[in-house]
Amino acid sequence: MRVLLVEDDVDLSRQLKGALADAGYAVDHAADGEEAHFLGDTEPYDVIVLDLGLPRIDGVSVLERWRREGRTTPVLILTARGAWSDKVAGFDAGADDYLTKPFHTEELLARLRALLRRSAGIASATLTCGALRLDPRAARASVDGEPLRLTSLEYRLLHYLMMHQGRVISRTELVEHLYDQDFDRDSNTIEVFVGRLRKKIGAERIETVRGLGYRLTPLAGESSAT
Amino acid sequence: MSGAAGGGSDPETVAPPRRSWGRWFGRPGRSLTRRLIWLASVWIVLALLATGWTLTGQYEESSLRRLGAVLSNTIDEVVLATNATPDGSLAVAEVKDDRTLRPLSGKYWAVAVPTDDGRLRIVARSPSLAGENLAIPRELPGRLREARGATISYNAWGPLQKRLRVAASMKQLPGRTAPVVFMAGIDRSTIDADTQQFATFTWAALLILGLGLVVAVFLQVQIGLRPLYSLRNEIADVRKGRAARIARTYPLEIQPLAEQVNRLLDHNQETVERQRTHVGNLAHALKTPLSVMLAEAGSQPGPLPDMVRKQTAIMQAQVDHHLRRARAAARAQMLGERTPIAEVLDELAVMLERVFGARGVEIDWRAPDDLAFRGERQDLQEILGNLIENACKWARRRVRVSAGPTGLGMMVVVVEDDGPGLPEDQREAALQRGMRMDETTPGSGLGLSIVVELTRAYGGRVTLGSSDMGGLKVLLELPTAEV
Repeated sequence: MRVLLVEDDVDLSRQLKGALADAGYAVDHAADGEEAHFLGDTEPYDVIVLDLGLPRIDGVSVLERWRREGRTTPVLILTARGAWSDKVAGFDAGADDYLTKPFHTEELLARLRALLRRSAGIASATLTCGALRLDPRAARASVDGEPLRLTSLEYRLLHYLMMHQGRVISRTELVEHLYDQDFDRDSNTIEVFVGRLRKKIGAERIETVRGLGYRLTPLAGESSAT
Repeated sequence: MSGAAGGGSDPETVAPPRRSWGRWFGRPGRSLTRRLIWLASVWIVLALLATGWTLTGQYEESSLRRLGAVLSNTIDEVVLATNATPDGSLAVAEVKDDRTLRPLSGKYWAVAVPTDDGRLRIVARSPSLAGENLAIPRELPGRLREARGATISYNAWGPLQKRLRVAASMKQLPGRTAPVVFMAGIDRSTIDADTQQFATFTWAALLILGLGLVVAVFLQVQIGLRPLYSLRNEIADVRKGRAARIARTYPLEIQPLAEQVNRLLDHNQETVERQRTHVGNLAHALKTPLSVMLAEAGSQPGPLPDMVRKQTAIMQAQVDHHLRRARAAARAQMLGERTPIAEVLDELAVMLERVFGARGVEIDWRAPDDLAFRGERQDLQEILGNLIENACKWARRRVRVSAGPTGLGMMVVVVEDDGPGLPEDQREAALQRGMRMDETTPGSGLGLSIVVELTRAYGGRVTLGSSDMGGLKVLLELPTAEV
């Protein structure tokens, strides 16, 4: 497994490099944002550990660039500030997990293992519907290359609609496929989630077919190839 | 604004303007409205009183002048009808004026001569006097001599107890050396009544005019000061979180004030931002070395690394605690912030579901789109982030978050999970525990201290209960920003 460690503090980098190597990773190290972006863009890493406070280009911008360029490598961010606004900004940029400094090395290793397991689990083809794109491997979706921020229910809803695009899907069918056994199985809540999903992907993409259900279609002018 | 508002015990609420007469007509004190109305009213009353006195005085005077003309006519007629006989006595021929012939008609004349003791003796009188005399004041002879032929007018009581206007004139007749005094009197009750009526009308008109002016002044002050009230309301809106800045345009005189308020708000914002940046930099500067120490100690067994680990955790807790204190102090100065809660819940749900995705934890959140928190986004993220993260940690599969307004400017946010929950006897302690010095595992524990601290800083409340989903239920009361 190849890991890219992006950290500007010399001592912390040395320690983490050692710990990661001991855990069996092949470690590359970048000490600033520019180098990190270059390495992440050119080398096929399995996971990236990214400190947010970096010289030259800050971590959030580096992450944003990778994601915009279509890199879906799982990224764990390290933040010293620990404020939720920083964490949220990191996730908006496309992070998969975070750790607040100071942290225990074991905790970091455990998180990395979880990230690798997650990305290795599912392997299926990318779905598209017009400018909409959904990558089940990374559990990410985008419109025109712009990453979407979806909750897991919204993601499952979109996944299901994309797998059955062009077909009218009833509320009952959605309820059955989206909810667990013990979830509040209220078909009104489907409307709430469809509403939220519409806000994020564009309202016209999900068509309401009166009395029948919903249908996902590409916008006029977009090709519908899968 | 109104005198009572300032001294209130609760500076949070701006007292509504008092709708009583006292507000406008009480002692001027500190009210601009009252000061303006009082000044204008006093001036109006003085000006109208002077006008009234001048008008009524002038009217009476001109009436008396008209009477004076009639009287001097009569005197002239009597003078013409009077002849001095060679023996020194006076003969008055008939005066052809009907009113002086009819007894007690109200128009009289008399002819008098000065006596040796300096008084006047009446030698002839009009038939209308019916034998009575025209009253002669004691000082009249003296005044007549001084006047040297000019007419003297005075008031006197005549027959039938009527008020008379009397004119007297001392003249020299041909063929006689001693002067003769001619007097004419006329009833003045008609002009008295006229004057009275004129005065009544005048004062009534002036009173109405005065009241009208006071009302006009009152309206002018109310309308004129309206921008001030409106500015006050806008500032109150900023305080309550309904607006971020003073947005309206005001008259030239107070626009600078509105601009200064905006500048103050900007300055406030900048100060808070600066403080926050300092605080963040400090955190960054301290935490990386702490990470190094922790990692170094973690790789070695023995009592020294153990101690380093423990002390590092305490240092981290101390740094966190004081950073929060600094941020809370900065926060108290923030005004006009408004954060839609649905946006923050969505961000956090997207993020935390990804983090806890390996365990399949789902966050079901519900909040009205128009519900907003009166405060900063970062703080709401901090409060809800910690609570929902905590719920995700303990949940088996599900976390439920619902938010709704409760009225009275507050909202309730409920965060629950289907985890093991917290026994009732430990809940109080979980809320009161400010910072856990014995905390050696970063990221564990309930993380409630920051939530409690922040919520209290916003005047809210945190209560713990048990959820019907099985786990812990955290009930959060927070202030709403009014729409």
